[in-house]
Amino acid sequence: MKEKRNLLIGGGLVGVIAVVLVMLGNPKNMGFCIACFIRDIAGGVGMHGAAIVQYVRPEIIGLVCGAFLMALIKKDFAPRGGSSPLTRFVLGFGVMVGALIFLGCPLRMALRIAGGDLNAVVALVGFVVGILIGVVFLKKGFSLGRSYRQGKLEGFAITGINVALLVVLVAFPTLLLFSESGPGSMRAPIWAALAAGLIVGAIAQRTRLCMVGGIRDVILFKDWTLICGFIAIIVIAAIGNIATGNFHLGFTRGLNEAGEIIAQPVAHTEHLWNFLGMTVVGLGSVLLGGCPLRQLILAGEGNTDSAVAVLGMFVGAAFCHNFKLASSGAGTTPNGRIACILMLVVMLVIAVYNTKKSKA
Amino acid sequence: MQTFIATFFSHFGAIRFNKQLKEAGIQGKLMPVPRRVSSSCGTCVRFEAESDTAFHSEDLEQLFRLEGEELTMICSNR
Repeated sequence: MKEKRNLLIGGGLVGVIAVVLVMLGNPKNMGFCIACFIRDIAGGVGMHGAAIVQYVRPEIIGLVCGAFLMALIKKDFAPRGGSSPLTRFVLGFGVMVGALIFLGCPLRMALRIAGGDLNAVVALVGFVVGILIGVVFLKKGFSLGRSYRQGKLEGFAITGINVALLVVLVAFPTLLLFSESGPGSMRAPIWAALAAGLIVGAIAQRTRLCMVGGIRDVILFKDWTLICGFIAIIVIAAIGNIATGNFHLGFTRGLNEAGEIIAQPVAHTEHLWNFLGMTVVGLGSVLLGGCPLRQLILAGEGNTDSAVAVLGMFVGAAFCHNFKLASSGAGTTPNGRIACILMLVVMLVIAVYNTKKSKA
Repeated sequence: MQTFIATFFSHFGAIRFNKQLKEAGIQGKLMPVPRRVSSSCGTCVRFEAESDTAFHSEDLEQLFRLEGEELTMICSNR
């Protein structure tokens, strides 16, 4: 019961903070988006050339550092790794491709639902289907192998990288790229964004908040504990959006005075690809053992396998823009649609190959 | 009879251990790892047995004895 209560409170706080970040300048329905923000960071350090999505997002830095500090204080910091790191890199890459087809990680999917964006409801169905496929493999004996204890410095490395990014952002911003228009130009003040990341990172470390884990546990064990956080985020963020005038129910936001369709914020209405994009994210996340947010938190706790998955997402994001895989408000791209199917196939191959039914 | 909670390096390890228990005539239950046991979010097996000595598995991460609300770590392969 206590766990559920903490998840409800923690999820609610994340919902509130997400709404506040939008009020402070982040794009609408994007108080947090792990996929979009890692993509923005990839752009900010010049890994891709999409000028509208370049900014070293302090939220991500805060999430990793917040989880690290909380884990350190509560003695949960445990450097470990060695559970098929390169496979996890590929899975992280694939999760990013799927997320940028849909335009959001599972957390942003929740926030988009909370903003009334029905495209995210279609994506949620695809997400659940992806998780169901993953659970089938889990039940059959899927495993990426055990992890092993690592040195303290190895466990700290991903946090160190994030601290270095923060130093560059604050002290040497001229080294970085900053979007002048588009989503990358819409940003809450650095210190507010950093504080939000630190708080949510600490909350997520304590509560084990995970968008994938909640649905997985309901399917696997009929256990409704972890999903409480997911539900709390949607409910509280929806209330916040209604209160701040940012709730617009529909696949679009209707027509403007000139009779043109107003799209939902940073979203498209291609149902099949919203569905399939999140199927890829759901399946990849179950195989990784957690959603993109959870990977950041585990990385902060010293899990180097999760850190490698985060790096896979980072490189995946750069590829998405360099090879025109990422969708935009205008919709998906031919390359993106091919990549989405390709990633689904790659993930299925990984799942089949690592399922050891005969030994179970 | 004592109550034990076993955590594993993988979900697969938990399934396999639960199967071993079943073969030994012990009813185990697969469930999410309680937060106070670990900050990871994997699968654990809860079971009741006379002693802890008969259970070994290469995927076993930690084994706890549960007495009321109190958890005692018996072994750790971390």
